[in-house]
Amino acid sequence: MLNSTSKRAVTSSPAKLLQLVQKTLCAAALFGLSASLAHAVPSYARQTGSDCASCHVGSYGPQLTPYGVKFKLGGYTDSDGQDGKIPLSAMTSFGVTQTGKAPADGSAHKTNSTSMETSLFVAGRLTDNIGIFSQATTAYNERTVSLDLLDLRYARSLKLGDNEATIGLSLNNNPTLGDPFNALSQWRFPYIASKFGQDNGVGAPSPLVESLAAAVYGLNAYTFINNSFYAEGGLYNTPSRRDLVGVNGSDMGKFKGLGYYGRVAYFKDLKRQNFSVGLLGFNASLQPDRQDQSGLADKYTDLGIDASYQFLGNREHIFTVNTSYIKEWQTLNFTNSGLGSDNLKNSIKQFRLAGSYTYNQTWGLTTAFFDTRGTTDATLYSGSLNGSPTTTGYILQADWTPLGKESSWGAPFANVRLGVQYTGYTKYMGGSTYNSLDVNGGSVLRNAKDNNTLMLFLWTSI
Amino acid sequence: MKKQSLLLAALALSALISQHAVAAGDAKKGADVFAEECGDCHSAIPGKSKKGPTLTGVIGRKAGTVANFAGYSDTMKESGIVWSADKIDAYITHPKKVVPAGKMKYDGLEDAAARADVIAYLSSLK
Repeated sequence: MLNSTSKRAVTSSPAKLLQLVQKTLCAAALFGLSASLAHAVPSYARQTGSDCASCHVGSYGPQLTPYGVKFKLGGYTDSDGQDGKIPLSAMTSFGVTQTGKAPADGSAHKTNSTSMETSLFVAGRLTDNIGIFSQATTAYNERTVSLDLLDLRYARSLKLGDNEATIGLSLNNNPTLGDPFNALSQWRFPYIASKFGQDNGVGAPSPLVESLAAAVYGLNAYTFINNSFYAEGGLYNTPSRRDLVGVNGSDMGKFKGLGYYGRVAYFKDLKRQNFSVGLLGFNASLQPDRQDQSGLADKYTDLGIDASYQFLGNREHIFTVNTSYIKEWQTLNFTNSGLGSDNLKNSIKQFRLAGSYTYNQTWGLTTAFFDTRGTTDATLYSGSLNGSPTTTGYILQADWTPLGKESSWGAPFANVRLGVQYTGYTKYMGGSTYNSLDVNGGSVLRNAKDNNTLMLFLWTSI
Repeated sequence: MKKQSLLLAALALSALISQHAVAAGDAKKGADVFAEECGDCHSAIPGKSKKGPTLTGVIGRKAGTVANFAGYSDTMKESGIVWSADKIDAYITHPKKVVPAGKMKYDGLEDAAARADVIAYLSSLK
């Protein structure tokens, strides 16, 4: 989604500060997507000689097959042996969205037709052991170009007795960006979502680990042993405000100390089918106001479990299931001291489940469920009528991807996906009704279903 | 002399059985095996190379000689292998045993019937 982890301005005004804290905590992307929609990078296809369908379920990014998993963990360096490949790609998307009711703050109409994002990728092999995936984007209604995603990798293979291992380092700007599986925020369904699908003023919280896209930088070390055991550990920090401005990054404030990211997973590739199960952990203390001298920071600890399954067979009928559950424990030292929350300690629990079927690597159907709950806190979740942030619903998508196969017209340059997506909310911020913002910044009652969204989209890359 | 004759007879029988197993493959089933096991890295389209060389025309071809493919290991180019059905069978059973320093990252296909099927499919590619 062109998501709601929008660029945030730092301010020391108390009222704006409280708003900032609430936005940091509450208006993070509901679906946990990063600052840009997910990705289709044909330069990798040109580099490897493979078709998009080799790496991606449904012939279009980003859901990875085992071949794509290994390509990523190999540092984006595999090739067909031919020199002279240019590691550049571009992507753009257009959407027509109809919401249940126009936003009360006047930020959009009931029906909106617009280009959503245009991105340029530098993505490919740089040396035998170094590769890159980076994305610069200009989004709807923004006149700037931001460096959304950066993953610069070093990888090599090792023989450890009878075991084979890939080891690597990743310099990146999002904790889950380097993950090779399809269940965590950066890489899970929905891969494209409407800018207009959520209430921009009031939204459900996401775990911090899923809200840091383009707001941090980190160095991760990882290993993948016998194509099965995956382990990753990383240290993260927040860039200076000046550095963020340079890349138009998201300003979430600054970490007090470092953020710690850890990930382990077991993956089994049985060729016709494959599965993964994993654990995720993240810990950081965030000071939303960079100028604050109190030394107080909000502490976040995230723990998650995830699993994926793919039946690939001969690629005619493909089934996938991806799921994740993340619990976050919050100690809101900063926010609570500024009366931005009722409770010092809160928690949120986020569950995601998506299942898809793809026929002939061309026709796709996906059903997904989302469920976010948290501790009742009437001040923190001021948009909620009962103080609960509970937001639940479902997404249905049908799509057509006519290109991206080995013998497709224009391969590997021409890629396109056409689709229709419906997002339905059964609860939004605690129930079927909540307080939204009107054009003057006051509150107005709004129904959860007013945010229901039907979107037709065209997504293309070269 | 008698032992040598027995050994030769055993080898001939083994070769016959091996050839028979390959010959019994089902090319239609082999197309599915190719999609499941080989197609990410190899193409069945003439002249189309991916991470590995095209497998059209592989039967009877000398290893490491596809003209437009530059990704061969030196070991493969110098192996002297000419790809017959039984040689492919041995290679895809355990690649590292046949070309120890080869680049192909493939653990091997244990199912003999599936190997026979995919070899039948490869034989059908013109």
